[in-house]
Amino acid sequence: MLEENAKLGNIKHEVLYQVAKAAFAEKLEEVRDRIPFEMIEGPQANFRCCIYREREIIRQRVRLAEGKPTNESLGDENIIQVINSACEGCPITRFTVTDNCQKCISKKCQQACKFGAISMTKDRAYIDPSKCKECGKCSEACPYNAIADLQRPCKKACPVDAISWDEYKIIHIDKEKCITCGKCIISCPFGAIGDRSFIVDVINLINSGRPVYACVAPAIEGQFGKDVIIGVLHEAIMALGFKDMYEVALGADLVAESEAKEWMEAYEQGKKMTTSCCPAFVNMIKKHYPQLIENVSTTVSPMAATARYIKNLDPDAVVVFIGPCIAKKGEVLDSVADTTSDYALTFEELNAMFRAKEIDLSTFKGELQQGSIYGKRFSQSGGVTAAVLEALKELNEDTDVKVKQCNGAAECKKGLLLMKIGRLPEDFIEGMACEGGCMKGPGNLSCDLMTAKNRETLLGGADSRSITENIKQQNAQLVEMHRHK
Amino acid sequence: MDITICIGSSCHLKGSREIVSELQRLLKEHNLQDQVELNGSFCMGQCVKGVCTKIDGKLFSLSPEDTQTFFENEVLRRLNG
Repeated sequence: MLEENAKLGNIKHEVLYQVAKAAFAEKLEEVRDRIPFEMIEGPQANFRCCIYREREIIRQRVRLAEGKPTNESLGDENIIQVINSACEGCPITRFTVTDNCQKCISKKCQQACKFGAISMTKDRAYIDPSKCKECGKCSEACPYNAIADLQRPCKKACPVDAISWDEYKIIHIDKEKCITCGKCIISCPFGAIGDRSFIVDVINLINSGRPVYACVAPAIEGQFGKDVIIGVLHEAIMALGFKDMYEVALGADLVAESEAKEWMEAYEQGKKMTTSCCPAFVNMIKKHYPQLIENVSTTVSPMAATARYIKNLDPDAVVVFIGPCIAKKGEVLDSVADTTSDYALTFEELNAMFRAKEIDLSTFKGELQQGSIYGKRFSQSGGVTAAVLEALKELNEDTDVKVKQCNGAAECKKGLLLMKIGRLPEDFIEGMACEGGCMKGPGNLSCDLMTAKNRETLLGGADSRSITENIKQQNAQLVEMHRHK
Repeated sequence: MDITICIGSSCHLKGSREIVSELQRLLKEHNLQDQVELNGSFCMGQCVKGVCTKIDGKLFSLSPEDTQTFFENEVLRRLNG
């Protein structure tokens, strides 16, 4: 069923689609074990050495789509899972001497190495992998840039050093360190890392007749092309069986207003604070800068605010967040004792549901706007700051608060480190673990230039209501905006 | 102490959400919110035993009606023991 040279995205999507289709038809129990054989018909392999390995990869991906860990026996409960049958165990020795080596007389590399790992061969330097400690001094010392620093893509992508490997070089993710940002998933060229999904749970609950509501993250605009406005998504999502759909941009407006008040208070007390909307950023603080937990804004995330708004309207509501984010799945699990979304899906998973239900977005029409343009722009780096500053203006607060916009996990780490040692010049940190913001999140369908262009076209259609006006219009003033625990 | 409650669809339909609120109520009543953390989990793969609940890794099979007994026999006993 998969074409020759199938790309990673196709394989992941095809599995989600097959699982979603079976779940909608209430046939997953009988279909589950057949999916690997139907997708990999054989006898020729498509993308790996043999069909048996390909089928095992599909089988593990089916488990992820069902929310299970890839390996039953390992007891690994992390949201991000290694598909060990797909892991190539990349045999990369980190520092390698390239053809640029001139075998010069000064041998700065050899002098720089404290571990005696560098010797000279007939035509160039050689690094003994058994002695190399990967300090990088030789690479820095070489006047010809002849020593390449090669890292396994997953290891290089992980901002919190959560990735290690066993003696067979199959990787392992340390749950205590992992912030579920999903960077390793998009970095692995073999698709050997994946995330557990709630897609089957959501479909089962829709099938059960429960009132299941969707709330869609602001990053959705542009994901489905330039013609798919929020009103169209609203109709299409209801055609999937959801009772209704709301824009998380509304929750973002509420967060902007709440944080504006919170920031003013903190500013007057001289207390530095961080935003709380990016769950991977919050995980980074909890797991790697626990001293700063008190500095995290107590305002809930836009997802939680929207879920609370929906649950005020219908106390029986089962709320499903749909966004570009994998860390949101963890936010849902961690805040089970607080009122928030019950489940979280990605845009990729939503797309698989559309395909499973044979929903053609071009056949729907509709008009809807539940967020101000500031709420809608929450999903890009700098967007939260812009919205909070706008809210301050609307609240007639005259202030010159300074905000450090940390765009991506690396900048977040720098900002948090400065805050930890008391050297942060700014008053607040806006933290987003994905470079560019949620628009570049790992659960997006596409992050390319065309998507960004389509998004701008769609946002151009939004009216100019202010944050306060929107909150009034949506009758959302009564949403309780702080964490309960 | 960590209590983990399965929020998979099967356990949801058997009342996992009610169990969470009941446990919250009991924790508040006994002033134990700071000592016990409630977390959700993906499907634990034991749907017939639902609602699947774990205390520090040990699996219990709960229903909303048993929650109070569970709290007294398992949670309080462990905290006091």
